[in-house]
Amino acid sequence: MLVSYNWLQDYVQIPWEPEELARRLTMAGLEVEGLTPFAPDLPRVYIGLVKTAAKHPSADTLQVCSVDVGEQGMHSIVCGAPNVAPGQTVAVALEGANLPGGLEIKPTEIRGVLSHGMICSQSELGIGDDHEGIWVLPEGLKPGVPLVEALDLDDVILDVSIYANRPDCMSMIGIAREVAALTGGELRIPSIDYTELDIPISKKTSVTVEDAALCPRYTAALLGEVELRESPLWMQLRLKAAGMRPINNVVDITNYVMLETGQPLHAFDYERLAEGRLVIRTAKPGEEIETLDAVKRKLTSEMLVICDGKKPQCIAGVMGGLSSEVTQKTNTIVLETANFAPVSVRRTSRALGLSSESAARFEKGIDPSGTMFASQRALHLLQNLAQASVYAGHLDIDASSREATEIHLPLTEIERLLGVAVPEQTCRQILEALGFKVQEAAPGHLQVTVPSHRTDVKIAADLVEEVVRIWGLENVPSTLPADTSTSGGQSRRLNAADHLRQVLVGAGLQEALSYSFGRIDNNDRLLRFDQPMITLQNPFSEDLAALRHSLLPGLLTAISLNASRQQTRVALFEIGANYVGKVPLAEQPLEEMQLCLALWGHRNPINWGLAEENYDFYDLKGILELLLPSEELVWGTGSNATYHPGRQGSIRYQGNEAVVYGEVHPAVLRNFKVPGRVYAAEIQLEKILDLFITTPMFRNLPKFPAVDRDLAFVVDSGQEVGALIEHLKELGGELLKEVTLFDVYEGKPIPADKKSVAFSLRFQGDRTLTDEEIAPVLEHCISGLGAKFGAEIR
Amino acid sequence: MFIDSEKMQGGFHVQDQVRGIREQALDACRQARTVQELNEARVKFLGKKGELTLILRKTGQLPKEERPHFGKLVNEVRDELESIWEQREQELSLAEEAKRLLAESLDISLPGRTVARGTIHPVTRVINETKNIFMQMGYAVVEGPEVELDYYNFEALNIPPDHPARDMQDTFFITENLLLRSQTSPVQIHTMERQEPPVRIVAPGKVYRADSDVTHSPMFHQIEGLVVDEGITLADLKGTLQLFVQRMFGADVKIRLRPSYFPFTEPSAEVDVSCIICSGSGCRVCKDTGWLEILGSGMVHPQVLKQVGYDPEKVSGFAFGMGIERIAMLKYGINDIRLLYENDVRFLEQFTS
Repeated sequence: MLVSYNWLQDYVQIPWEPEELARRLTMAGLEVEGLTPFAPDLPRVYIGLVKTAAKHPSADTLQVCSVDVGEQGMHSIVCGAPNVAPGQTVAVALEGANLPGGLEIKPTEIRGVLSHGMICSQSELGIGDDHEGIWVLPEGLKPGVPLVEALDLDDVILDVSIYANRPDCMSMIGIAREVAALTGGELRIPSIDYTELDIPISKKTSVTVEDAALCPRYTAALLGEVELRESPLWMQLRLKAAGMRPINNVVDITNYVMLETGQPLHAFDYERLAEGRLVIRTAKPGEEIETLDAVKRKLTSEMLVICDGKKPQCIAGVMGGLSSEVTQKTNTIVLETANFAPVSVRRTSRALGLSSESAARFEKGIDPSGTMFASQRALHLLQNLAQASVYAGHLDIDASSREATEIHLPLTEIERLLGVAVPEQTCRQILEALGFKVQEAAPGHLQVTVPSHRTDVKIAADLVEEVVRIWGLENVPSTLPADTSTSGGQSRRLNAADHLRQVLVGAGLQEALSYSFGRIDNNDRLLRFDQPMITLQNPFSEDLAALRHSLLPGLLTAISLNASRQQTRVALFEIGANYVGKVPLAEQPLEEMQLCLALWGHRNPINWGLAEENYDFYDLKGILELLLPSEELVWGTGSNATYHPGRQGSIRYQGNEAVVYGEVHPAVLRNFKVPGRVYAAEIQLEKILDLFITTPMFRNLPKFPAVDRDLAFVVDSGQEVGALIEHLKELGGELLKEVTLFDVYEGKPIPADKKSVAFSLRFQGDRTLTDEEIAPVLEHCISGLGAKFGAEIR
Repeated sequence: MFIDSEKMQGGFHVQDQVRGIREQALDACRQARTVQELNEARVKFLGKKGELTLILRKTGQLPKEERPHFGKLVNEVRDELESIWEQREQELSLAEEAKRLLAESLDISLPGRTVARGTIHPVTRVINETKNIFMQMGYAVVEGPEVELDYYNFEALNIPPDHPARDMQDTFFITENLLLRSQTSPVQIHTMERQEPPVRIVAPGKVYRADSDVTHSPMFHQIEGLVVDEGITLADLKGTLQLFVQRMFGADVKIRLRPSYFPFTEPSAEVDVSCIICSGSGCRVCKDTGWLEILGSGMVHPQVLKQVGYDPEKVSGFAFGMGIERIAMLKYGINDIRLLYENDVRFLEQFTS
């Protein structure tokens, strides 16, 4: 809500400069998000009176005016505006003026005639966006007076953010009430005096409320002989200050009173209402209305409308209809001040995609008791500014329940919640200043009656907040909760994640973070068809429409991005949830924590001393071995469609597949626009959490020297070396402690379909081993490997 | 032949010869420029077939009475020469080593062999830092589901359907009843449903709102805090958060509570910290206010306590929630939230410890 500092002073005396007022309001819960001057500083801009205007001798569209600028003298000014005429009071910028657009005024020759200033439009002065011509001011302003002074433009606008629970503060009076509570000053309520005709309103029109649930109160007044014209300049400027556009005096007054009181108003052209009456009901199927913004809108049966004898003329609380709009021809108006159900206004406004100042207030819930005051205030202004005659009385259909809320507030409750006592007298003063009625129910106990405009206050805690926000949160001390028996700590799931992060960072990988939602076809892009993903009803974009089944798409997308940005090495990991549930989703899906890692490009950072080699499968496997050293894991082959059929593996734990890894299938890489090769692993952490709580057990260091023996075999080139190692371990028996593969070689002199594999075998025992002991074991290994795999010793 | 020709010359001559050998040996020792030359000379004079060894064989030619004297003389010369040799050898080998070291000089301006550096994501860093601060204060770190029931995200938090507060958060829906949580506050409810007071938890996690610009992302992280027990007050909230920001941002950082509105707390307060960029004197980041808004907080609404079966007249609590990305951006000076989810390695590698 935009609040004019000058205007606010109509309702309350403000002892503070705007900056201090802003700070005080902010600290009382009305956050002031900005302070802006209403008009720019306008030195050397004055009130002027156009004395004469004559055609420019050599330009048809220009006029040469002589302008009386009082003490500043008479000035000859060339003006191009079509609307300039003798007798007008105008804003004149003289030599030395510096206008907001950066225009400096100095004597200028325009087509051979010297111009000594400029007659200004609103937009040139930075006050409005009116480009139609010069700004014609009301008569009676004294020429030569600085414009800012003459029009009271020296004002500051406070942009006040109003929380959803404070619709009462979406009004000047509401804000003034807060200020009064802060200053201890008095709230000044504006005048509602007006005179009435003898003719009662009921003779001329009627109001029927068919849906009292959606329209708890409807208050109507009738005015005749309304003189439509521009509103007075002060009102126009105030509306502008509040961010609204002046239209005509009737519409401006309805807006002005809404800004003053927070109660939206609407004026119907009485003559354009069929049967001259109003019916408040929900729309009938198929009904339409053309709203004031000239858009035809289809209505549904949930929407509340104000109808004349025939058709909808207004969408209740949202926007009026074009066909009963107040125009220059209007003579008689029906003035609506009503209360509509917040939910209904909110739904209608959202369904139509139509927001308005009115809807913004109604949907937060406003005080039904406020309709009469707002109506009377508007009648006062309409009588004074539009010379309207007011028919006697109101039609006031009131089904609202307005039982005042009573709250019992023990003063101990304040201390219990705040941790500090607030003196009883202070509590009373604050609550009373905010409009609460306070009585002492018993010593130390207050009985508080909530004013009708405070729809948000229902319980004692609400009153505690009222007290503390005005008293000042800075007065609350800082303490720490008394020590209790909570032990703290975190789950093993989080511990595991923290541990894995540390290992991977040590291995030189960078942690990534991707969105949990991605493209609907991400499973397809991974070649994992027939795995429907959970989709959002209202996705942010097509790229963020479905909850992920894997973190791999996020990392592949990141690799693609980095590749396109000339990076040569990407080693990423991410830990996050995947969302697995039966589609369509009937219950919350499983959120399974996954660790995904992906390697692309150079194995090493580019460096003169390091080989420029690309990552390969065994880099990936090495990292996995570092990450998952448990002997309880079973490393096996894989058959996952996302990965290269000949370069992938899986790891199982307790019979369940927990990890798939390998070189990503080139078709997948094409789908994600990734050049080159990617080595990736998807680890389902939930399945292996047990592994991260094991405690390492110490084994005694060997006391006797080890004996190392190397064996090289020639085997078929397709032979899995893993199987050889496993078998060697069996053959070696107790004494064989370690089998290390140290060389794999294909090429001459090894035959074409063979390879050489070389192992180092480490023997150790509880004594110093001799050659005689080891020789038969070696022999057994050689013959055993030969028998099972046809391996020949080299 | 040489020995034979000497045979006749008698002991006097042999002793002179020893002295001659000594002179020659000392010369050779002095002239040796390398350890190798020195060793060659050593072999020549002191070796098994060296001159000093050979001359001993002439002992037999000497008269009996002169023999001990001669033997002693040769041994004295040998000892002397050995000692000089040893000294010389040490000199030469040190000089040679010095020379070798000089020749081995490296261009130490060449960069070292790069060890690939891993990094933790800035969001994780802030979460870890935050949860560690609270764990030290006896808080448990808990998690909650990201796909939530409407009940937990809204209704149990005192936000019924059509409540205007729902507009404050543009929520992603999956079905009418299932949504992506728009705040970590539902974890408050899950926690209180699971346990009796005292409660002391923080809950980090992802949250989702349909919003995207330089400071907003459709997915971001929050950390929620909740303390419920008998006698928990707003003053406790203030003290706890004061301690937290001092540990997080530095001992000089102050906090300021501003009244605010959240449906699930009453009273509610927005918490500002004195600007960590300009220390409160006013800058672009704090929009010249000297304060940065970093979290929302308040006393748990009695209705929320009632909803989970706690007695709001017996226990009270405070809750707070803050945006991790906002803190990360402030702390590390990141100017666009989207950088956090792009995974450009040049961005990620900046967050080394």
